[in-house]
Amino acid sequence: MKTLRQYLRALLNAKRLLAYTFLLCFFLWVTTPFLMILLKSLGRNWFGKLWLPPEFTLDWYKWAVTVTNIPEVLRNTLIIAGIAVGISTLIAIPTGWALGRRKIPGKEVIMSTILLPRMIPPIAYALGVAQIFYRLHLIDTHLGVAIAHVAICAPYAILVLASTFEGLDERVLEAASVCGANNLRTFFHVTLPLVMPGILSSIIFTFTTSYNEFTLTLMTYGPKTITLPVRTYLAVGEGYWEVTSALSMILIIPSLFVLFMIQRQVQPEKLVGGFKGV
Amino acid sequence: MTSFFKRRRYGLISLLMLLPGLASFFGLFFYPMLVTVVRSFRPEGLTEGWTLEHYAGFLGQASTRQVILLTFFLAIACTLLSIVLSVPLTLLLRQKLAGHRLFRLTILIPITVPGLVGALGLLLFYGSRGWLNLLLIQGLRVVQDPVKINYTLTGLVIFYVWHYFSYTAVTTLSTLEGLDPAFEEAARVAGASPWQVLRHVVLPLIMPGILAGSVLTFMAAFGAFSIPLITGGSYRPLAVQIYKQIEVYTPARWEAASAMAVVMALLQLVFLTFYMRVLRRPSAS
Repeated sequence: MKTLRQYLRALLNAKRLLAYTFLLCFFLWVTTPFLMILLKSLGRNWFGKLWLPPEFTLDWYKWAVTVTNIPEVLRNTLIIAGIAVGISTLIAIPTGWALGRRKIPGKEVIMSTILLPRMIPPIAYALGVAQIFYRLHLIDTHLGVAIAHVAICAPYAILVLASTFEGLDERVLEAASVCGANNLRTFFHVTLPLVMPGILSSIIFTFTTSYNEFTLTLMTYGPKTITLPVRTYLAVGEGYWEVTSALSMILIIPSLFVLFMIQRQVQPEKLVGGFKGV
Repeated sequence: MTSFFKRRRYGLISLLMLLPGLASFFGLFFYPMLVTVVRSFRPEGLTEGWTLEHYAGFLGQASTRQVILLTFFLAIACTLLSIVLSVPLTLLLRQKLAGHRLFRLTILIPITVPGLVGALGLLLFYGSRGWLNLLLIQGLRVVQDPVKINYTLTGLVIFYVWHYFSYTAVTTLSTLEGLDPAFEEAARVAGASPWQVLRHVVLPLIMPGILAGSVLTFMAAFGAFSIPLITGGSYRPLAVQIYKQIEVYTPARWEAASAMAVVMALLQLVFLTFYMRVLRRPSAS
Protein backbone atom coordinates (compact mmCIF):
# COMPACT_ATOMS: atom_id res chain seq x y z
CA MET A 1 0.00 0.00 0.00
CA LYS A 2 2.80 2.35 0.95
CA THR A 3 4.79 1.63 -2.19
CA LEU A 4 1.66 2.07 -4.21
CA ARG A 5 1.15 5.48 -2.67
CA GLN A 6 4.76 6.44 -3.34
CA TYR A 7 4.39 5.22 -6.88
CA LEU A 8 1.29 7.33 -7.36
CA ARG A 9 3.01 10.37 -5.91
CA ALA A 10 5.92 9.92 -8.30
CA LEU A 11 3.37 9.54 -11.03
CA LEU A 12 1.80 12.84 -10.12
CA ASN A 13 5.20 14.55 -10.23
CA ALA A 14 6.06 13.25 -13.64
CA LYS A 15 2.40 13.41 -14.49
CA ARG A 16 2.41 14.89 -17.90
CA LEU A 17 5.12 12.65 -19.33
CA LEU A 18 3.57 9.49 -17.96
CA ALA A 19 0.12 10.54 -19.05
CA TYR A 20 1.28 10.99 -22.60
CA THR A 21 3.21 7.71 -22.59
CA PHE A 22 0.08 5.91 -21.45
CA LEU A 23 -2.14 7.64 -23.99
CA LEU A 24 0.34 7.02 -26.77
CA CYS A 25 0.62 3.32 -25.92
CA PHE A 26 -3.16 3.15 -25.91
CA PHE A 27 -3.35 4.91 -29.25
CA LEU A 28 -0.78 2.56 -30.80
CA TRP A 29 -2.47 -0.50 -29.29
CA VAL A 30 -5.75 0.43 -30.97
CA THR A 31 -4.43 1.65 -34.31
CA THR A 32 -1.34 -0.44 -35.19
CA PRO A 33 -3.47 -3.41 -36.34
CA PHE A 34 -4.83 -1.17 -39.12
CA LEU A 35 -1.34 -0.07 -40.09
CA MET A 36 -0.40 -3.74 -40.35
CA ILE A 37 -3.38 -4.38 -42.65
CA LEU A 38 -2.42 -1.38 -44.78
CA LEU A 39 1.19 -2.56 -45.12
CA LYS A 40 0.12 -6.14 -45.80
CA SER A 41 -2.22 -4.96 -48.54
CA LEU A 42 0.52 -2.89 -50.22
CA GLY A 43 3.52 -5.16 -49.72
CA ARG A 44 4.99 -7.93 -51.83
CA ASN A 45 7.31 -10.73 -50.64
CA TRP A 46 6.95 -9.68 -47.03
CA PHE A 47 8.34 -12.71 -45.26
CA GLY A 48 10.78 -13.24 -42.45
CA LYS A 49 11.75 -10.75 -39.81
CA LEU A 50 11.27 -7.49 -41.66
CA TRP A 51 9.57 -4.39 -40.29
CA LEU A 52 8.43 -3.20 -43.70
CA PRO A 53 7.67 -5.06 -46.91
CA PRO A 54 10.62 -5.04 -49.36
CA GLU A 55 8.50 -4.03 -52.37
CA PHE A 56 5.28 -2.10 -52.67
CA THR A 57 2.54 -2.95 -55.13
CA LEU A 58 -1.12 -2.26 -55.84
CA ASP A 59 -1.68 -5.71 -57.32
CA TRP A 60 -3.62 -7.02 -54.33
CA TYR A 61 -6.21 -4.28 -54.78
CA LYS A 62 -6.61 -5.24 -58.44
CA TRP A 63 -7.01 -8.84 -57.29
CA ALA A 64 -9.55 -7.80 -54.69
CA VAL A 65 -11.61 -5.95 -57.28
CA THR A 66 -11.48 -8.67 -59.94
CA VAL A 67 -11.37 -11.93 -58.00
CA THR A 68 -13.59 -11.12 -55.04
CA ASN A 69 -15.92 -8.99 -57.14
CA ILE A 70 -15.85 -5.90 -54.95
CA PRO A 71 -18.21 -3.63 -56.94
CA GLU A 72 -20.98 -6.23 -56.77
CA VAL A 73 -20.37 -6.96 -53.08
CA LEU A 74 -20.26 -3.27 -52.22
CA ARG A 75 -23.51 -2.70 -54.12
CA ASN A 76 -25.18 -5.51 -52.14
CA THR A 77 -23.92 -4.12 -48.85
CA LEU A 78 -25.12 -0.59 -49.58
CA ILE A 79 -28.54 -1.69 -50.88
CA ILE A 80 -29.09 -3.86 -47.81
CA ALA A 81 -27.91 -1.15 -45.42
CA GLY A 82 -30.13 1.40 -47.21
CA ILE A 83 -33.26 -0.75 -46.91
CA ALA A 84 -32.46 -1.61 -43.28
CA VAL A 85 -31.93 2.07 -42.39
CA GLY A 86 -35.16 3.06 -44.16
CA ILE A 87 -37.33 0.45 -42.46
CA SER A 88 -35.75 1.05 -39.04
CA THR A 89 -36.24 4.80 -39.26
CA LEU A 90 -39.87 4.43 -40.38
CA ILE A 91 -40.47 2.10 -37.44
CA ALA A 92 -38.59 4.25 -34.96
CA ILE A 93 -40.16 7.66 -35.66
CA PRO A 94 -43.74 6.80 -34.54
CA THR A 95 -42.62 4.39 -31.83
CA GLY A 96 -39.98 6.76 -30.51
CA TRP A 97 -42.54 9.58 -30.52
CA ALA A 98 -45.04 7.51 -28.56
CA LEU A 99 -42.43 6.38 -26.04
CA GLY A 100 -40.92 9.82 -25.68
CA ARG A 101 -43.98 12.07 -25.57
CA ARG A 102 -47.09 10.09 -24.60
CA LYS A 103 -48.30 8.92 -21.24
CA ILE A 104 -48.32 5.18 -21.61
CA PRO A 105 -48.97 2.72 -18.78
CA GLY A 106 -46.03 0.33 -18.39
CA LYS A 107 -43.69 2.40 -20.54
CA GLU A 108 -40.61 0.99 -18.81
CA VAL A 109 -41.71 -2.55 -19.55
CA ILE A 110 -42.37 -1.75 -23.22
CA MET A 111 -38.98 -0.06 -23.51
CA SER A 112 -37.04 -2.96 -22.01
CA THR A 113 -39.05 -5.41 -24.12
CA ILE A 114 -38.07 -3.57 -27.28
CA LEU A 115 -34.44 -3.60 -26.11
CA LEU A 116 -34.51 -7.34 -25.40
CA PRO A 117 -32.92 -8.25 -28.77
CA ARG A 118 -29.81 -6.46 -27.55
CA MET A 119 -29.60 -8.60 -24.44
CA ILE A 120 -29.92 -12.01 -26.11
CA PRO A 121 -26.99 -13.28 -28.21
CA PRO A 122 -27.91 -12.60 -31.88
CA ILE A 123 -27.04 -16.15 -32.92
CA ALA A 124 -29.98 -17.44 -30.84
CA TYR A 125 -32.69 -15.65 -32.82
CA ALA A 126 -30.67 -15.66 -36.04
CA LEU A 127 -31.33 -19.43 -36.12
CA GLY A 128 -35.08 -18.79 -35.94
CA VAL A 129 -34.94 -15.95 -38.47
CA ALA A 130 -33.10 -18.23 -40.93
CA GLN A 131 -35.70 -20.99 -40.57
CA ILE A 132 -38.63 -18.61 -41.05
CA PHE A 133 -36.96 -16.96 -44.04
CA TYR A 134 -36.35 -20.34 -45.69
CA ARG A 135 -40.10 -20.94 -45.53
CA LEU A 136 -40.91 -17.44 -46.86
CA HIS A 137 -38.22 -17.64 -49.59
CA LEU A 138 -36.55 -14.52 -48.23
CA ILE A 139 -33.10 -16.13 -48.03
CA ASP A 140 -30.65 -14.66 -50.55
CA THR A 141 -32.77 -11.60 -51.33
CA HIS A 142 -31.70 -8.04 -50.51
CA LEU A 143 -35.01 -7.41 -48.77
CA GLY A 144 -34.68 -10.55 -46.67
CA VAL A 145 -31.17 -9.81 -45.40
CA ALA A 146 -32.20 -6.19 -44.74
CA ILE A 147 -35.28 -7.25 -42.75
CA ALA A 148 -33.08 -9.55 -40.69
CA HIS A 149 -30.83 -6.57 -39.95
CA VAL A 150 -33.84 -4.55 -38.79
CA ALA A 151 -34.13 -6.97 -35.85
CA ILE A 152 -30.90 -5.44 -34.50
CA CYS A 153 -31.13 -1.93 -35.98
CA ALA A 154 -34.68 -1.01 -34.92
CA PRO A 155 -34.06 -1.21 -31.13
CA TYR A 156 -31.10 1.17 -31.53
CA ALA A 157 -33.14 3.60 -33.60
CA ILE A 158 -36.13 3.51 -31.24
CA LEU A 159 -33.85 4.08 -28.25
CA VAL A 160 -32.14 7.11 -29.79
CA LEU A 161 -35.37 8.66 -31.09
CA ALA A 162 -37.32 8.08 -27.87
CA SER A 163 -34.69 9.99 -25.92
CA THR A 164 -34.64 12.73 -28.58
CA PHE A 165 -38.43 13.18 -28.50
CA GLU A 166 -38.35 13.13 -24.71
CA GLY A 167 -35.79 15.94 -24.68
CA LEU A 168 -37.97 18.32 -26.74
CA ASP A 169 -38.83 21.59 -25.10
CA GLU A 170 -42.53 21.58 -24.19
CA ARG A 171 -42.75 25.39 -24.48
CA VAL A 172 -41.87 25.43 -28.18
CA LEU A 173 -44.68 23.01 -28.94
CA GLU A 174 -47.10 25.02 -26.83
CA ALA A 175 -46.07 28.18 -28.64
CA ALA A 176 -46.90 26.48 -31.95
CA SER A 177 -50.37 25.50 -30.80
CA VAL A 178 -50.98 28.94 -29.31
CA CYS A 179 -50.14 30.39 -32.71
CA GLY A 180 -52.93 28.26 -34.16
CA ALA A 181 -51.11 25.28 -35.63
CA ASN A 182 -53.00 22.00 -35.37
CA ASN A 183 -51.36 18.82 -34.13
CA LEU A 184 -50.24 17.49 -37.49
CA ARG A 185 -48.94 20.87 -38.58
CA THR A 186 -47.02 21.20 -35.32
CA PHE A 187 -45.55 17.74 -35.82
CA PHE A 188 -44.33 18.31 -39.37
CA HIS A 189 -43.26 21.95 -39.08
CA VAL A 190 -41.97 22.18 -35.50
CA THR A 191 -41.34 18.76 -33.94
CA LEU A 192 -39.76 17.05 -36.93
CA PRO A 193 -37.19 19.79 -37.70
CA LEU A 194 -36.30 19.89 -33.99
CA VAL A 195 -35.62 16.16 -33.82
CA MET A 196 -33.71 16.09 -37.12
CA PRO A 197 -30.31 15.76 -35.36
CA GLY A 198 -31.67 12.76 -33.44
CA ILE A 199 -32.96 11.18 -36.64
CA LEU A 200 -29.61 11.79 -38.28
CA SER A 201 -27.70 10.13 -35.46
CA SER A 202 -30.14 7.23 -35.48
CA ILE A 203 -29.51 6.84 -39.22
CA ILE A 204 -25.75 6.86 -38.63
CA PHE A 205 -26.03 4.14 -35.97
CA THR A 206 -28.34 1.92 -37.94
CA PHE A 207 -26.22 2.31 -41.04
CA THR A 208 -23.03 1.30 -39.20
CA THR A 209 -24.80 -1.56 -37.47
CA SER A 210 -26.17 -2.93 -40.74
CA TYR A 211 -22.94 -2.30 -42.64
CA ASN A 212 -20.94 -4.24 -40.04
CA GLU A 213 -23.57 -6.88 -39.27
CA PHE A 214 -22.16 -10.36 -39.59
CA THR A 215 -24.09 -12.94 -37.55
CA LEU A 216 -27.53 -12.30 -39.05
CA THR A 217 -26.11 -11.92 -42.57
CA LEU A 218 -24.24 -15.20 -42.29
CA MET A 219 -27.50 -17.00 -41.47
CA THR A 220 -29.53 -15.40 -44.28
CA TYR A 221 -27.14 -14.64 -47.15
CA GLY A 222 -26.75 -16.48 -50.42
CA PRO A 223 -24.61 -16.22 -53.55
CA LYS A 224 -26.51 -13.12 -54.72
CA THR A 225 -26.39 -11.24 -51.42
CA ILE A 226 -22.79 -11.55 -50.25
CA THR A 227 -21.98 -8.48 -48.17
CA LEU A 228 -18.55 -7.07 -47.36
CA PRO A 229 -18.22 -8.61 -43.88
CA VAL A 230 -19.23 -12.03 -45.23
CA ARG A 231 -16.84 -11.64 -48.15
CA THR A 232 -14.02 -10.79 -45.75
CA TYR A 233 -14.85 -13.85 -43.68
CA LEU A 234 -14.80 -16.06 -46.78
CA ALA A 235 -11.51 -14.49 -47.88
CA VAL A 236 -9.95 -15.19 -44.48
CA GLY A 237 -11.01 -18.81 -44.92
CA GLU A 238 -9.45 -18.92 -48.38
CA GLY A 239 -6.18 -17.86 -46.80
CA TYR A 240 -4.94 -15.12 -49.16
CA TRP A 241 -3.96 -12.63 -46.48
CA GLU A 242 -2.75 -9.97 -48.88
CA VAL A 243 -6.01 -9.93 -50.83
CA THR A 244 -8.02 -10.10 -47.62
CA SER A 245 -6.08 -7.08 -46.34
CA ALA A 246 -6.82 -5.12 -49.50
CA LEU A 247 -10.48 -6.07 -49.11
CA SER A 248 -10.44 -4.93 -45.48
CA MET A 249 -8.96 -1.56 -46.40
CA ILE A 250 -11.89 -1.00 -48.76
CA LEU A 251 -14.30 -2.26 -46.11
CA ILE A 252 -13.24 0.29 -43.48
CA ILE A 253 -13.54 3.43 -45.62
CA PRO A 254 -17.25 4.00 -44.79
CA SER A 255 -16.49 3.25 -41.12
CA LEU A 256 -13.93 6.05 -41.06
CA PHE A 257 -16.51 8.37 -42.59
CA VAL A 258 -18.99 7.35 -39.89
CA LEU A 259 -16.34 7.93 -37.23
CA PHE A 260 -15.86 11.43 -38.59
CA MET A 261 -19.63 12.02 -38.56
CA ILE A 262 -19.94 10.75 -35.01
CA GLN A 263 -17.29 13.12 -33.82
CA ARG A 264 -19.10 16.05 -35.41
CA GLN A 265 -22.75 15.19 -34.86
CA VAL A 266 -23.33 12.72 -32.11
CA GLN A 267 -22.46 12.33 -28.48
CA PRO A 268 -20.64 9.02 -28.37
CA GLU A 269 -22.36 7.92 -25.18
CA LYS A 270 -25.57 7.66 -27.16
CA LEU A 271 -23.91 5.04 -29.28
CA VAL A 272 -23.66 2.66 -26.38
CA GLY A 273 -26.37 4.10 -24.15
CA GLY A 274 -29.66 2.68 -23.11
CA PHE A 275 -28.64 1.16 -19.84
CA LYS A 276 -28.08 4.35 -17.95
CA GLY A 277 -28.72 4.09 -14.25
CA VAL A 278 -28.34 0.35 -14.09
CA MET B 1 -68.83 11.27 -22.00
CA THR B 2 -66.62 13.39 -24.22
CA SER B 3 -63.70 13.06 -21.84
CA PHE B 4 -64.11 9.29 -21.99
CA PHE B 5 -63.87 9.37 -25.78
CA LYS B 6 -61.01 11.79 -25.64
CA ARG B 7 -59.09 9.46 -23.33
CA ARG B 8 -59.95 6.54 -25.54
CA ARG B 9 -58.72 8.41 -28.58
CA TYR B 10 -55.50 9.41 -26.83
CA GLY B 11 -54.77 5.81 -25.89
CA LEU B 12 -55.64 4.58 -29.35
CA ILE B 13 -53.23 7.01 -31.01
CA SER B 14 -50.43 6.04 -28.62
CA LEU B 15 -51.05 2.38 -29.35
CA LEU B 16 -51.16 2.97 -33.08
CA MET B 17 -47.84 4.76 -32.97
CA LEU B 18 -46.29 2.02 -30.83
CA LEU B 19 -47.43 -0.66 -33.25
CA PRO B 20 -44.50 -0.54 -35.73
CA GLY B 21 -41.98 -1.02 -32.93
CA LEU B 22 -43.97 -3.81 -31.32
CA ALA B 23 -44.55 -5.47 -34.70
CA SER B 24 -40.83 -5.50 -35.45
CA PHE B 25 -40.15 -6.88 -31.97
CA PHE B 26 -42.66 -9.71 -32.27
CA GLY B 27 -41.97 -10.49 -35.92
CA LEU B 28 -38.20 -10.29 -35.89
CA PHE B 29 -37.30 -11.29 -32.37
CA PHE B 30 -40.09 -12.98 -30.44
CA TYR B 31 -41.39 -15.23 -33.22
CA PRO B 32 -37.89 -16.31 -34.38
CA MET B 33 -36.95 -16.99 -30.76
CA LEU B 34 -40.14 -19.07 -30.40
CA VAL B 35 -39.25 -21.00 -33.55
CA THR B 36 -35.79 -21.65 -32.11
CA VAL B 37 -37.26 -22.88 -28.82
CA VAL B 38 -39.86 -25.14 -30.50
CA ARG B 39 -37.28 -26.50 -32.91
CA SER B 40 -34.99 -27.41 -30.03
CA PHE B 41 -37.60 -29.91 -28.80
CA ARG B 42 -38.15 -31.58 -32.21
CA PRO B 43 -36.45 -34.86 -33.20
CA GLU B 44 -33.59 -34.24 -35.63
CA GLY B 45 -34.83 -33.50 -39.14
CA LEU B 46 -38.54 -33.86 -38.29
CA THR B 47 -41.25 -31.22 -37.96
CA GLU B 48 -43.40 -33.17 -35.53
CA GLY B 49 -43.01 -34.88 -32.18
CA TRP B 50 -41.32 -33.79 -29.01
CA THR B 51 -38.03 -34.86 -27.53
CA LEU B 52 -35.48 -33.74 -24.98
CA GLU B 53 -32.61 -35.61 -26.61
CA HIS B 54 -30.82 -32.46 -27.84
CA TYR B 55 -30.70 -30.97 -24.37
CA ALA B 56 -29.68 -34.31 -22.89
CA GLY B 57 -27.08 -34.76 -25.62
CA PHE B 58 -25.63 -31.27 -25.28
CA LEU B 59 -25.70 -30.99 -21.50
CA GLY B 60 -24.56 -34.58 -21.09
CA GLN B 61 -21.33 -34.13 -23.03
CA ALA B 62 -18.20 -33.70 -20.98
CA SER B 63 -16.98 -30.94 -23.31
CA THR B 64 -20.11 -28.83 -22.77
CA ARG B 65 -19.01 -27.74 -19.34
CA GLN B 66 -15.69 -26.60 -20.75
CA VAL B 67 -17.40 -24.65 -23.52
CA ILE B 68 -19.68 -22.85 -21.06
CA LEU B 69 -16.77 -22.17 -18.72
CA LEU B 70 -14.70 -20.81 -21.60
CA THR B 71 -17.52 -18.50 -22.69
CA PHE B 72 -17.95 -17.14 -19.18
CA PHE B 73 -14.20 -16.88 -18.61
CA LEU B 74 -13.70 -14.85 -21.79
CA ALA B 75 -16.64 -12.54 -21.06
CA ILE B 76 -15.69 -11.92 -17.43
CA ALA B 77 -11.95 -11.49 -18.11
CA CYS B 78 -12.75 -9.06 -20.91
CA THR B 79 -15.14 -7.09 -18.68
CA LEU B 80 -12.67 -6.80 -15.80
CA LEU B 81 -9.74 -5.83 -18.02
CA SER B 82 -11.90 -3.26 -19.80
CA ILE B 83 -12.63 -1.59 -16.46
CA VAL B 84 -8.93 -1.67 -15.53
CA LEU B 85 -8.09 0.01 -18.84
CA SER B 86 -10.99 2.45 -18.93
CA VAL B 87 -10.65 4.06 -15.52
CA PRO B 88 -7.10 5.48 -15.88
CA LEU B 89 -7.74 6.26 -19.54
CA THR B 90 -10.87 8.30 -18.89
CA LEU B 91 -9.33 10.03 -15.87
CA LEU B 92 -6.53 11.22 -18.15
CA LEU B 93 -8.85 12.23 -20.97
CA ARG B 94 -10.92 14.26 -18.58
CA GLN B 95 -7.98 16.56 -17.91
CA LYS B 96 -8.22 17.75 -21.51
CA LEU B 97 -4.52 17.46 -22.27
CA ALA B 98 -3.48 18.70 -25.69
CA GLY B 99 -4.66 16.26 -28.33
CA HIS B 100 -7.35 14.69 -26.15
CA ARG B 101 -9.82 14.82 -29.04
CA LEU B 102 -7.71 12.36 -31.01
CA PHE B 103 -7.62 9.91 -28.10
CA ARG B 104 -11.36 10.30 -27.58
CA LEU B 105 -11.92 9.34 -31.19
CA THR B 106 -9.52 6.41 -30.76
CA ILE B 107 -11.86 4.89 -28.17
CA LEU B 108 -14.61 4.70 -30.77
CA ILE B 109 -12.53 2.99 -33.45
CA PRO B 110 -13.07 -0.63 -32.27
CA ILE B 111 -16.87 -0.30 -32.25
CA THR B 112 -17.19 1.51 -35.57
CA VAL B 113 -14.93 -0.63 -37.76
CA PRO B 114 -16.21 -4.08 -38.72
CA GLY B 115 -15.13 -6.67 -36.16
CA LEU B 116 -13.66 -8.91 -38.83
CA VAL B 117 -11.26 -6.21 -40.01
CA GLY B 118 -10.13 -5.60 -36.45
CA ALA B 119 -9.59 -9.31 -35.96
CA LEU B 120 -7.51 -9.55 -39.13
CA GLY B 121 -5.32 -6.63 -38.06
CA LEU B 122 -4.83 -8.10 -34.59
CA LEU B 123 -3.83 -11.47 -36.06
CA LEU B 124 -1.23 -9.68 -38.23
CA PHE B 125 0.06 -7.50 -35.39
CA TYR B 126 0.38 -10.29 -32.80
CA GLY B 127 1.49 -12.96 -35.28
CA SER B 128 4.92 -14.61 -35.17
CA ARG B 129 6.10 -12.17 -37.87
CA GLY B 130 4.06 -9.24 -36.56
CA TRP B 131 5.41 -6.02 -35.17
CA LEU B 132 4.93 -6.99 -31.54
CA ASN B 133 7.22 -10.00 -31.88
CA LEU B 134 9.69 -7.96 -33.94
CA LEU B 135 9.76 -5.40 -31.16
CA LEU B 136 10.34 -8.07 -28.52
CA ILE B 137 13.04 -9.89 -30.51
CA GLN B 138 14.89 -7.12 -32.35
CA GLY B 139 13.91 -3.98 -30.48
CA LEU B 140 13.96 -4.94 -26.82
CA ARG B 141 15.82 -8.26 -27.23
CA VAL B 142 13.90 -9.84 -24.37
CA VAL B 143 13.07 -13.08 -26.15
CA GLN B 144 14.79 -15.27 -28.75
CA ASP B 145 11.82 -16.98 -30.36
CA PRO B 146 8.53 -15.37 -31.30
CA VAL B 147 5.96 -15.39 -28.51
CA LYS B 148 2.84 -17.26 -29.55
CA ILE B 149 -0.21 -15.10 -28.96
CA ASN B 150 -2.58 -15.83 -31.83
CA TYR B 151 -4.96 -18.74 -31.23
CA THR B 152 -4.07 -18.92 -27.53
CA LEU B 153 -6.35 -18.11 -24.60
CA THR B 154 -4.30 -15.02 -23.68
CA GLY B 155 -4.49 -13.80 -27.24
CA LEU B 156 -8.22 -14.30 -27.34
CA VAL B 157 -8.65 -12.25 -24.16
CA ILE B 158 -6.51 -9.45 -25.64
CA PHE B 159 -8.60 -9.48 -28.82
CA TYR B 160 -11.83 -9.41 -26.82
CA VAL B 161 -10.67 -6.44 -24.77
CA TRP B 162 -9.61 -4.60 -27.94
CA HIS B 163 -13.04 -5.12 -29.47
CA TYR B 164 -15.31 -4.53 -26.51
CA PHE B 165 -13.61 -2.12 -24.07
CA SER B 166 -15.18 0.86 -25.90
CA TYR B 167 -18.57 0.36 -24.25
CA THR B 168 -17.06 0.62 -20.77
CA ALA B 169 -14.74 3.49 -21.70
CA VAL B 170 -17.41 5.65 -23.38
CA THR B 171 -19.93 5.20 -20.56
CA THR B 172 -17.29 5.87 -17.91
CA LEU B 173 -16.07 8.95 -19.76
CA SER B 174 -19.55 10.43 -20.08
CA THR B 175 -20.24 9.81 -16.38
CA LEU B 176 -16.94 11.38 -15.45
CA GLU B 177 -17.60 14.46 -17.60
CA GLY B 178 -21.00 14.87 -15.96
CA LEU B 179 -19.42 14.84 -12.52
CA ASP B 180 -19.65 18.08 -10.60
CA PRO B 181 -16.08 19.28 -9.88
CA ALA B 182 -17.36 20.83 -6.65
CA PHE B 183 -17.21 17.41 -4.94
CA GLU B 184 -13.53 17.04 -5.62
CA GLU B 185 -12.75 20.63 -4.75
CA ALA B 186 -14.56 20.21 -1.45
CA ALA B 187 -12.56 17.07 -0.69
CA ARG B 188 -9.31 18.77 -1.66
CA VAL B 189 -10.06 21.84 0.45
CA ALA B 190 -10.79 19.50 3.34
CA GLY B 191 -7.19 18.28 2.97
CA ALA B 192 -7.53 15.03 1.04
CA SER B 193 -4.57 13.92 -1.05
CA PRO B 194 -5.20 13.40 -4.80
CA TRP B 195 -5.13 9.64 -4.20
CA GLN B 196 -7.73 9.95 -1.44
CA VAL B 197 -9.92 12.16 -3.62
CA LEU B 198 -9.77 9.54 -6.34
CA ARG B 199 -10.35 6.59 -4.03
CA HIS B 200 -13.07 8.03 -1.80
CA VAL B 201 -14.79 10.66 -3.93
CA VAL B 202 -14.38 10.18 -7.67
CA LEU B 203 -14.45 6.38 -7.93
CA PRO B 204 -17.61 5.88 -5.82
CA LEU B 205 -19.35 8.64 -7.80
CA ILE B 206 -18.55 7.19 -11.21
CA MET B 207 -19.14 3.58 -10.13
CA PRO B 208 -22.70 3.42 -11.59
CA GLY B 209 -21.34 4.59 -14.96
CA ILE B 210 -18.48 2.09 -14.92
CA LEU B 211 -20.82 -0.76 -14.03
CA ALA B 212 -23.43 0.20 -16.62
CA GLY B 213 -20.69 0.21 -19.25
CA SER B 214 -19.33 -3.10 -18.01
CA VAL B 215 -22.75 -4.70 -18.50
CA LEU B 216 -22.62 -3.68 -22.16
CA THR B 217 -19.09 -5.03 -22.52
CA PHE B 218 -20.13 -8.27 -20.86
CA MET B 219 -23.13 -8.75 -23.14
CA ALA B 220 -21.09 -8.09 -26.26
CA ALA B 221 -18.31 -10.43 -25.11
CA PHE B 222 -20.69 -13.21 -24.08
CA GLY B 223 -22.44 -13.18 -27.44
CA ALA B 224 -19.22 -12.62 -29.43
CA PHE B 225 -19.28 -14.57 -32.64
CA SER B 226 -17.16 -13.17 -35.46
CA ILE B 227 -14.04 -12.61 -33.32
CA PRO B 228 -13.71 -16.12 -31.85
CA LEU B 229 -14.85 -17.58 -35.19
CA ILE B 230 -11.71 -16.40 -36.99
CA THR B 231 -9.26 -15.78 -34.13
CA GLY B 232 -10.26 -18.51 -31.70
CA GLY B 233 -8.52 -21.48 -33.30
CA SER B 234 -9.38 -24.48 -31.16
CA TYR B 235 -11.07 -22.29 -28.52
CA ARG B 236 -14.74 -22.24 -29.41
CA PRO B 237 -17.16 -20.36 -27.18
CA LEU B 238 -20.90 -21.14 -27.32
CA ALA B 239 -21.80 -18.92 -30.28
CA VAL B 240 -19.15 -20.56 -32.47
CA GLN B 241 -20.15 -24.06 -31.34
CA ILE B 242 -23.75 -23.31 -32.34
CA TYR B 243 -22.69 -22.14 -35.78
CA LYS B 244 -20.47 -25.19 -36.27
CA GLN B 245 -23.56 -27.43 -35.86
CA ILE B 246 -24.91 -25.84 -39.03
CA GLU B 247 -21.73 -25.30 -40.99
CA VAL B 248 -19.85 -28.55 -40.36
CA TYR B 249 -22.63 -31.14 -40.47
CA THR B 250 -24.60 -32.10 -43.60
CA PRO B 251 -27.52 -32.03 -43.24
CA ALA B 252 -27.22 -29.13 -40.81
CA ARG B 253 -28.17 -30.02 -37.24
CA TRP B 254 -30.71 -27.21 -36.76
CA GLU B 255 -32.41 -28.89 -33.83
CA ALA B 256 -29.21 -29.45 -31.87
CA ALA B 257 -28.05 -25.89 -32.68
CA SER B 258 -31.41 -24.53 -31.47
CA ALA B 259 -31.11 -26.40 -28.17
CA MET B 260 -27.64 -24.94 -27.63
CA ALA B 261 -28.89 -21.46 -28.54
CA VAL B 262 -31.72 -21.73 -25.99
CA VAL B 263 -29.22 -22.78 -23.31
CA MET B 264 -26.97 -19.84 -24.26
CA ALA B 265 -29.80 -17.30 -24.18
CA LEU B 266 -30.97 -18.60 -20.79
CA LEU B 267 -27.45 -18.47 -19.35
CA GLN B 268 -27.04 -14.88 -20.52
CA LEU B 269 -30.43 -13.82 -19.12
CA VAL B 270 -29.81 -15.50 -15.76
CA PHE B 271 -26.35 -14.01 -15.46
CA LEU B 272 -27.53 -10.53 -16.45
CA THR B 273 -30.40 -10.60 -13.95
CA PHE B 274 -27.99 -11.71 -11.26
CA TYR B 275 -25.41 -9.09 -12.29
CA MET B 276 -27.92 -6.24 -12.29
CA ARG B 277 -29.23 -7.28 -8.90
CA VAL B 278 -25.72 -7.32 -7.46
CA LEU B 279 -25.00 -3.95 -9.07
CA ARG B 280 -28.11 -2.32 -7.70
CA ARG B 281 -27.38 -3.26 -4.11
CA PRO B 282 -24.37 -1.01 -3.35
CA SER B 283 -25.87 1.99 -5.12
CA ALA B 284 -29.08 1.63 -3.15
CA SER B 285 -27.36 1.73 0.23
